[in-house]
Amino acid sequence: MGFWLRFNLLVFTIAILSTPVLSDLILSKVDRRIDLTSQIVRITSTLKVENAGSGLVSEVLLAFQSFRLKIWYLMATTNEGKGKTKSAGVSLPVEIANPKGMPPALTVYSVSLSKALGEGDTMSLDVLAVFTHTLKPFPEKITQADIQLVLFQDSAYYLSPYAVKFQSLSIKLPDARIESYTKIENTKIHGSEIKYGPYENLHPFSYSPLVVHFEINQPFAVAQELVREIEVSHWGNVQVTEHYNIVHEGAKSEGEFSRLEYQARPHIRGSSAIRHFVAKLPPRAHSIIIGMKLGIYQHLICGLILKELLIEPRYPMFGGWRTAFIIGYSLPLQDFLFELEGKRFLNISFASPINDLVIDNLVVKVVLPEGSRDLSVSTPFPVKQRQESKISHLDVVGRPVIVLEKADVVPEHNQYFQIHYSFNKLSMLREPFMLISGFFFLFVACIVYVHVDLSISKSSASYLAKLQWDEVRATIQQVESIINQCLATHEKIEASLRDLSRIGDVQACKTTRKTADGLLKEHSKELKPLLAFLQSSPAAANILPKVEELVAKERELQERWMAKHSIIVDCYEKKLGGREIENRVAPQQQKVVALRQEVEDLLEYIDEI
Amino acid sequence: MAPKPITSPVPDSWYPTLSVSMLAIGLVITASFFIYEATSSKRNRSLAKELTTGALASFFLGFGSLFLLLASGIYV
Repeated sequence: MGFWLRFNLLVFTIAILSTPVLSDLILSKVDRRIDLTSQIVRITSTLKVENAGSGLVSEVLLAFQSFRLKIWYLMATTNEGKGKTKSAGVSLPVEIANPKGMPPALTVYSVSLSKALGEGDTMSLDVLAVFTHTLKPFPEKITQADIQLVLFQDSAYYLSPYAVKFQSLSIKLPDARIESYTKIENTKIHGSEIKYGPYENLHPFSYSPLVVHFEINQPFAVAQELVREIEVSHWGNVQVTEHYNIVHEGAKSEGEFSRLEYQARPHIRGSSAIRHFVAKLPPRAHSIIIGMKLGIYQHLICGLILKELLIEPRYPMFGGWRTAFIIGYSLPLQDFLFELEGKRFLNISFASPINDLVIDNLVVKVVLPEGSRDLSVSTPFPVKQRQESKISHLDVVGRPVIVLEKADVVPEHNQYFQIHYSFNKLSMLREPFMLISGFFFLFVACIVYVHVDLSISKSSASYLAKLQWDEVRATIQQVESIINQCLATHEKIEASLRDLSRIGDVQACKTTRKTADGLLKEHSKELKPLLAFLQSSPAAANILPKVEELVAKERELQERWMAKHSIIVDCYEKKLGGREIENRVAPQQQKVVALRQEVEDLLEYIDEI
Repeated sequence: MAPKPITSPVPDSWYPTLSVSMLAIGLVITASFFIYEATSSKRNRSLAKELTTGALASFFLGFGSLFLLLASGIYV
């Protein structure tokens, strides 16, 4: 560690001697706040930039040491308005720059200003830099009972290619033990906050090594790989499934793990272990699934009020231990899918909902419904993208999948990104159409089976007998329908008689009688050939007597009805009283009722055969 | 122009009701189809009636099974 510092000092002194003069910017005031309360180191610097030379300056350079692992997130905002009126900062584009003459141990970023800075002007800039994997556990191996101590290295003076007039630094540590820290001039410690400064009038590239050795018990959860699959269904659901592979990257655990001691005194035996993960899901998430990667899914009953999901692995994770699990949840469609000018777009968050999780490699797969075309992605930061296809429920060719990959993701990256595509509404009907055609195929198969003659031998006795029986059945059905029509005609006559007793219109009654007569004659004509056929066919032998009986009874019934009708009409014409009518009709009426009953019984009997 | 949220063409809460009713109607029509097949003899059968009954039944059964899938959580 000491060697590295001395080497860097050497490099910097050489650099200072050989650096060309940069644009004449001066940082008049620098306030740095380093937040070391979790595994993610966040450095917020507020710079007041002043243009001390002539000419317009349109970019500001920021320098960071390269031996520190790469910067994971860098954001620069500028605040319009002075003093108390702090409007939302406007984010400025930041890029890696390689100006000539910079020492190789530095990585330089360039912030492009929206408005060029004129001579003598000042502006203020807020820079947020996020690092991970920078807190080194020291000692590197601890037992269950030890506390976790880490080292943090930086420079007490703000490292910049410009001269700094006035600067101060404050480091925020977690509420735990501070083992040691570098003491230079103007160092004060208040509880768990260390203040360095103020320092005045420092040259460009001034550097003073700073080391803090302190205890930290926050979880050091790092997901080595996270695959997030987002499946969109236009029937009203967005299904998100996340596959986690998490490692504890703090001080490695050596020695045994005693569950008994851990459960008895968790804060002493296992203070730095990861006990649980807290995930903040969008509101109205439902149907949450969580399972271990062995493939067994356990449904969690969803009754979360604040929509914070607590996931507790079976064992607490100590340094070097790993766990893998899957989380799935469903979201309502209208919160995430929108339509604008004929094109649809999906607006959803990019990274994981778990708090304080650092992801080494993040893969986001967005599965869009079949029939989506013209896909385009817009993300707030650069990602690698490619397209695949996935076959899912009721698919013919497969759904388009957009795969976005990004390495080194911190919770600051959990912003919304959009995917635009166009989709024809009629394509939604493709799915029910597939089901309908499936069922229709079954029905067609049934029809074909019934129509097609599948017998092997066409001249065997049983086959011929079956054919004949089919014909007989058809004929009987026709006979039945004719008899039913005759019965309907009888009903009409009865109705006309009732009308007569109510209204007294004899003429209408007579006309009904005439039409009924005609119909009945037709029916008996139709019956003749059918009866002839039945008499000639041998298969109908056992049923023929019944059919003949039916026809005979029906004829008798017909005659009785006609007789009754004539009697009643006669009585009306002669204007006889009701009593008389009843007396004359009585015998006919009884027979009619009895015959009718018999006819219906016979019909039922024939039906059953 | 503010973007308009997109929802399903049929409201979510209707899925179970729609699935039960459509499946019921489809099954009734299927039943009538099979009764017709069983009771009619070779000469009386009419292909047009069979095909229309089958088509109607498969339409209702298809939509009923789609809404059944959606109501049980398989968002196809």
